[in-house]
Amino acid sequence: MTRGSAAFFMSISRKCVPFTPFDGELERSTVAIVTAGGVHLKEQEPFNIADELGDLGYRTIPEDVESAQLKVTHHHYDHSDADKDINVVFPIDVLRELQADGLIKGVARKHIGYMGYTMQLKAMYEGTAHEIANEIDKGSRADVVVLTGG
Amino acid sequence: MKGIPTVLITVSPEVSAQMRPPRALYPNGFKVGNSLGGPGMRELQRKVLWDALGLLRENIAPGKVVNRDYPEYSRYYEPPRVRS
Repeated sequence: MTRGSAAFFMSISRKCVPFTPFDGELERSTVAIVTAGGVHLKEQEPFNIADELGDLGYRTIPEDVESAQLKVTHHHYDHSDADKDINVVFPIDVLRELQADGLIKGVARKHIGYMGYTMQLKAMYEGTAHEIANEIDKGSRADVVVLTGG
Repeated sequence: MKGIPTVLITVSPEVSAQMRPPRALYPNGFKVGNSLGGPGMRELQRKVLWDALGLLRENIAPGKVVNRDYPEYSRYYEPPRVRS
């Protein structure tokens, strides 16, 4: 990590925790998944693993996705288990089970997959993160977001 | 603008803790690539997801990573032991 990025990293950690209280009930809540595990639809353009700086893009995943339609493109973690069962990083089927059992109200209209790995921390923090937040805020009808890495 | 409550499931708790996430769960001993558990371990995946969602209802200190044990995960993966 360069000195400049380390200084930026430390300045982020000194800020207040971005906490939003949860005032609702899980059984009345819709849940979205946002994963940095490089998950995307097979028909979507894969994340660019040839870019040494990391791919700053993200992919939107629809509510009615079948887990078999998903894959992982990522070169910074061993995703062989996710290749067998996407739920280890993107628990869409597990979420549907919770919905079927009435423990949550529903699965959000939109979910997000991105790479997470980047050497462009500022661009990720000031660009991609805001774009993902807007996608979830405006299009997902989510009451709660579950975040996963890899 | 009202935010949306979030909860993170992390398998890199030291890294995650530096960013002080509002709510975070670390399933003890889970390796990178197994945030919810091993492939096909549906009961375990459900337990981890439900515990993560449960943090929304608990009065935990924002910015701290909560550790939970899931002994059944050891049937799939045991982290390497460091010799003392």
